[in-house]
Parts: sequence; C-alpha cells; structure tokens
Amino acid sequence: MHESPFVIETTELVKRFGLRTVLDRVTLQVPHGQVIGLLGLNGSGKSTLIKCLLGLLRPDAGRAALLGADSWQLAAREKSLIGYVPQEATLYHWLTVRQTVAYVSSFYPSWDRAWGEELVRRWDLPLSHRVGPLSVGQKQKLALVLALGHRPEGLILDEPVASLDPVARRWFLETVLETVADGVGTVLFSTHITSDLERIASHVALLRDGRLELHDEIDALKDRIKRLRITAPTDLPRDLRLPGTLRSVVRGSQAIVTLDGVSEPLIAGIRERFSSDVVVDDLNLEEIFLELHDAESAAAAVGR
Amino acid sequence: MPRSEPLFVVHASSGVPIYRQLVDQVEALVAGGRLRPGDLVPSVRQVAGALGVNPMTVSKAWSRLEADGVLIRDRGRGMVVAARRETASLADRREEVQPLVDRAVTHALHLGLTPAQLVALVRESLEEHRSCMNRRS
Repeated sequence: MHESPFVIETTELVKRFGLRTVLDRVTLQVPHGQVIGLLGLNGSGKSTLIKCLLGLLRPDAGRAALLGADSWQLAAREKSLIGYVPQEATLYHWLTVRQTVAYVSSFYPSWDRAWGEELVRRWDLPLSHRVGPLSVGQKQKLALVLALGHRPEGLILDEPVASLDPVARRWFLETVLETVADGVGTVLFSTHITSDLERIASHVALLRDGRLELHDEIDALKDRIKRLRITAPTDLPRDLRLPGTLRSVVRGSQAIVTLDGVSEPLIAGIRERFSSDVVVDDLNLEEIFLELHDAESAAAAVGR
Repeated sequence: MPRSEPLFVVHASSGVPIYRQLVDQVEALVAGGRLRPGDLVPSVRQVAGALGVNPMTVSKAWSRLEADGVLIRDRGRGMVVAARRETASLADRREEVQPLVDRAVTHALHLGLTPAQLVALVRESLEEHRSCMNRRS
C-alpha cells in the first residue's frame, strides 16, 4: 500500500534551535505493528522529534517521514491516516462534547461517524456536558476520540499521560491498547515513566541529548541484559574480561557484572572457570538504563 | 471454561519479560493440574484486556507455549492445553533437571550448608509437593 515499509521514519534527522542541537542525526524506523515508547528526560528531544514527524517543525538536515511521505509536505491522504494526541489537548471549553466531536469531524472527509459515537459511548464521555469542567483524564480521552475518529493507521501521542493520576493513566493506556486491537497498527508515544512503557509497548527507543541511543524490543532487552553476582572461593582477577560487559565491579572474591548477551553456556563457563557461585539478577527497564549509562546521567534519564 | 477461569498476574516493572511471566504461570497451572489437557486458555484479547498489557505480548507467550508443546491450537475454539508429554525419555528428563540441581548444590555449599542439611531440604520440598498433589486428587 505504501512505498515505504515504515509507518514512522526519520533519517539522519537534525534540528537546531539557535546554537543548540536538539536532534542530532536521529535515524529511527518504525514498521507497522510496533507500539513504541519514546523515552528520554525532559529536553532530550522527544517533543521536537514528534513535531518534526508531524510536519510542525522543519528539519535542519535529514528527513522525517510518515507512511513514506516527507513530513514537511504531508498530503491530505497521509494526514488522514495518522492520529495525534498532544500533551494537552487544545479544546474549546465552551463547546459540549457533542459539539466538539462535530466540529473536529467536519475537517475530515474520512471521519467515521458511527465509530466516533461508539468510542464516546465506550469511554463514557458525557455528550451533552461542556468540555471545560471535564476531568483531565476525560479531556485526554476526548482528545483520543478526536485523533481516532478518522480511523488512522498510526497514532502519535506526546506525553499523553503526563498530567494524569495513576488510575487515570492506567485507564488511558488500556484504552490506547484497545485501539491497537481495533486496527490502529502502529503507536508511538513519548513518556518518561518506564513502567507505563513496560506495560503497553512492544519496543522502546531512548533519546539522550538529542541522540537515539537505543531502539529495541523490550522483551529482547530484558532477556539479553542481566546482572551477575559472582562469588568465588578465592580472589577473582581484577579484570574479568567477560564478553558483552557493560559494567563490572570486582572486590576480592566477589564481582558484580552487568552483561549484554547473557546465555546459559556463558554462565556455566563462568562457574567452571572460577569454580564460583553465580546468581543472575533480572533487570527492569529502569535498571537497564541505569546500567547502560554512568550512574549520574542515568539517574536523570529515567526521570523522577 | 469448565472450572474457574485461570487468573494471571503480571508485574510490568519486573526484570522478567511479561511474556515469560505468562509462560511460567501457564506451565505452573498445567504442572499443578489446575489446567488439564483439553482445557481452553483465555484468548489473547481477554488476557491482554484483563491485564492491560499489549496483545502482542500475550500472543507471544501463547505462541511460545505452542512451540513448546504445552498448548495446541484447536481450530474454531482457540488455544487448549495439550496432552501431557510423557514421551521424553528418562535420560532426556534427567538432562533437563541436572543443571538446576547443580546450581542448587553449588549455592547451598557456598552458603555453608552440609550435604545432610541439603538432602533434608530436598526431602521437605518433595514432601510439600506430594501433600499438595494428594489434596488435589
């Protein structure tokens, strides 16, 4: 259907604000079917990346594309296949929910009225109420209805849960997952909350100081990166030289080593070589990021 | 579902990938007899909806269990528990358990347990399992 196999794609994307380089040669390729979490600390370039993708900002170099089309020159066709939920939806507080849906839908020839009404019903949005007094969670849901009513293939959300309490956050994320089951194939959402990402995303991309540090399947990351606690009967060599070492601390007969690419044979090998006891710790996303970076900047990268 | 529906619990922020947690839980339910051959497991959509996790994650767990012969796809019904595999030879089954035993032994000796204490632990564990099985049948 599309010339490009990627729903969302950037190639060597550079964006500067004055002297500051906010995005530094970011190449990210998201094929159909990924639910990808874009992780990074405030100021790491998440929103800028999203705005370049949507054609709201013009890249200084490189390219951003949606469904194979250059983001800066998106035609109505591509726009009608993408839904976007900003951090805080711009809604007219004096309109009712019904009026808001009617107003926004009038911009989309492909708006599916029955579908829009179904979503409003499903998420218990009060049609006759004014938007102003709605809760933040309800407003985010309304924004999601507005982003989905034209039945997009891809959904882009910029910190959609930043202003929600934990209960509303969980509820909102489950709603987003429902839309994946309903045929929205690809979702990109930015966040700095690793636990949200672990729950609903299949993939994670990490932005740090404008650079893409990582783009991988979450399960694969967790299967691959482990922390080993090694206890030997005698002192261990200061330099263990284990393959794939990310971080290694040796103190006498004990060592703590974080490895990328842990396998049973590797662990058996270590047990044999040092006649040691090896305990394998599983790491969650937050811990993996702490291990991937030096402690100081990593503490910042996972946010609060 | 013939008996009470199996419940799954996942910890998203655990270091163990969610699909693996689900695989472990289904295997435990099957091993413990809570899920029996022919029982239907809930659909990907049901589990994903109930747990609020990505359907792809659940689908991955079910596929893994299918590849391992724990579940089989029953056309029109969904995924059901496969007949128990008694086909593996004693040698194969021993080989599968051996590394776990080795690890437990190494760990116990490192912690300063005597061989007798370790054997006592294994006995207690076996006893525990046996009484569980009796209670069920």
